[in-house]
Amino acid sequence: MQSTIGESKKAFMTGNETVTWAALAAGAEVMFGYPITPQNEVMHYWTRLAPKFGREFLQTEDEISAGFTVCGAVQAGKKAFTATAGPGNVLMQEPFGMAEAMRLPLVAVIQQRGGPSSGTVVYSQQEVTLTTYGGNGEGNRIVYSTATHQEIFDYVIKGFNSAWKYRFPTFILGDGYQAKMREPLTIYEPQERGIEMVTPYPLIGKAGHIGADREVQHLCNIYSLEEELYDVVMQHAAEYERIIPELVEYEQKECDDAEIIIVSHGVVSRAADDAVKLLRDQGIKAGYFRPITLRPFPEQQLRDTIAKSGAKKMLVAESAYGQLFRLIRQEIYGETIPIETLLMPGVGIIDYDIMTKVKSIL
Amino acid sequence: MFRFQSQTNIIIEAYIGEYASGKSEMAINRALELKRQGRKVVLVDLDTVEPFYTLRPLKILLEEKGLEVISMSSEDTFGLGETGAMLTPQARWALWREGDIILDVGYGVMGARTLNLVEGAYESPHLRILAVINALRPMTNSRDRIVEYLRDLGRVDAIIANSHLGEDTDTELVLTANQIVFTAARQLGLTVEYVAVDEKLRGEIPEERFPVPVKYIKRYMPGAMWK
Repeated sequence: MQSTIGESKKAFMTGNETVTWAALAAGAEVMFGYPITPQNEVMHYWTRLAPKFGREFLQTEDEISAGFTVCGAVQAGKKAFTATAGPGNVLMQEPFGMAEAMRLPLVAVIQQRGGPSSGTVVYSQQEVTLTTYGGNGEGNRIVYSTATHQEIFDYVIKGFNSAWKYRFPTFILGDGYQAKMREPLTIYEPQERGIEMVTPYPLIGKAGHIGADREVQHLCNIYSLEEELYDVVMQHAAEYERIIPELVEYEQKECDDAEIIIVSHGVVSRAADDAVKLLRDQGIKAGYFRPITLRPFPEQQLRDTIAKSGAKKMLVAESAYGQLFRLIRQEIYGETIPIETLLMPGVGIIDYDIMTKVKSIL
Repeated sequence: MFRFQSQTNIIIEAYIGEYASGKSEMAINRALELKRQGRKVVLVDLDTVEPFYTLRPLKILLEEKGLEVISMSSEDTFGLGETGAMLTPQARWALWREGDIILDVGYGVMGARTLNLVEGAYESPHLRILAVINALRPMTNSRDRIVEYLRDLGRVDAIIANSHLGEDTDTELVLTANQIVFTAARQLGLTVEYVAVDEKLRGEIPEERFPVPVKYIKRYMPGAMWK
């Protein structure tokens, strides 16, 4: 694969541009996409850069097709991806479900916008439920929620490896603010950091006679009988559960003696991080917990954090009306810590909002 | 007859360049500089693709500083959603306004071609088109990439060297990265108007190292939440 970035360097970019450079560095060979704000510049930059590096692009007729063409390309052994948002994410649930059913290494970058429906073009965290558990399956997906441009770069690269290693559809969940924001980060070739990229391989058309040289393999998204489907879904669920410890990622600060634990994800966690520092300066013992993987969720880690801290309360802050909150409740079922919420669907949350809320509930 | 042709000392400048190159910062700082000189200034947001980002969140702040700002206000956006390319009549006829006109031509790749939407722009004898280049952006981080990019942009009258890394900028980066901009400008036979440097670095930059003035700018765009 041709060098894309060369020597590691600092760069000043938007989040969408960062996605594109990371996908190039990760060795993505083709992007399929359909325009939607706020992910458009992922496509714009990809179409400008792809020809320079021998990569390809196809704009399909809609998001359903963009998702399915990714499903097709990865079966042919191509490292492929797409990017979308909002209603585009809704339409792609059908191909994302196919990727779950057939265990396809699909990679999708989601830049959340406001909802429901077309909502706003700007920003939100309302695609948590859709991205983690959308579709008519069991949510066997890997979802990384990024907070900085450096993380966008790192997790796009990691996302391709997770997809091709574990063969579950993998999502990098950003948002409109991260897409449009500009900030410095370090870009690099994965190899330079000792990151070995999984070499893509064709899933169909393998060499050898079936039965003689190799086992038959079924890549199916439909079965004739209930029992057949049951076996497959149970097997997928077991495999997903087995790899959870390898996948789960989270970040935790100042929780050991915390009276209140603030849980947030994505760009809102930047505000939570600042709020914890400012609250501590004022003598309020606040802690910070952030799931980086929303699927699989760092369930045990959050339970342990609550137990170790002996915190009196937890505050969930998100730019949605309870999607992270719902996820947390289901994951830590049985915990008795009272949970307060700061729910601001479709608008940004700053440190001041979180501090004010904390002071009102302690 | 266009009214601007009857004025002799007005300034009309259009800031173009790569997405996130610093066009809006340069345009805002220039508009405020002219305002401080006691001039009447109109700042025009010409982002026709995504008019809800760009200057909208800063409109009130800039108006309080005495600028006339032509951009979307939050209350103007109702019902527009994803309408695609947008141009307000005020922006289209901006050159009919009194005073200096600073055009912030958003969304990069179309460059000065977006100005065909502004009535009288190409006929104006006053219009200067300034390309903003940040050599710490990967799309424009070498002489060849800058040259290729600028050749594709259409008419450019001068370059502004605006190489920086946001909060991570330091003197060494300002010196080395902007040299790349100068080499590209020489190859294209264009002048560099000035080197833009964050005012936080005032006093630290050996200005004599540049053959053109250093202009210290205040960064306003981080005040827009999504920036």
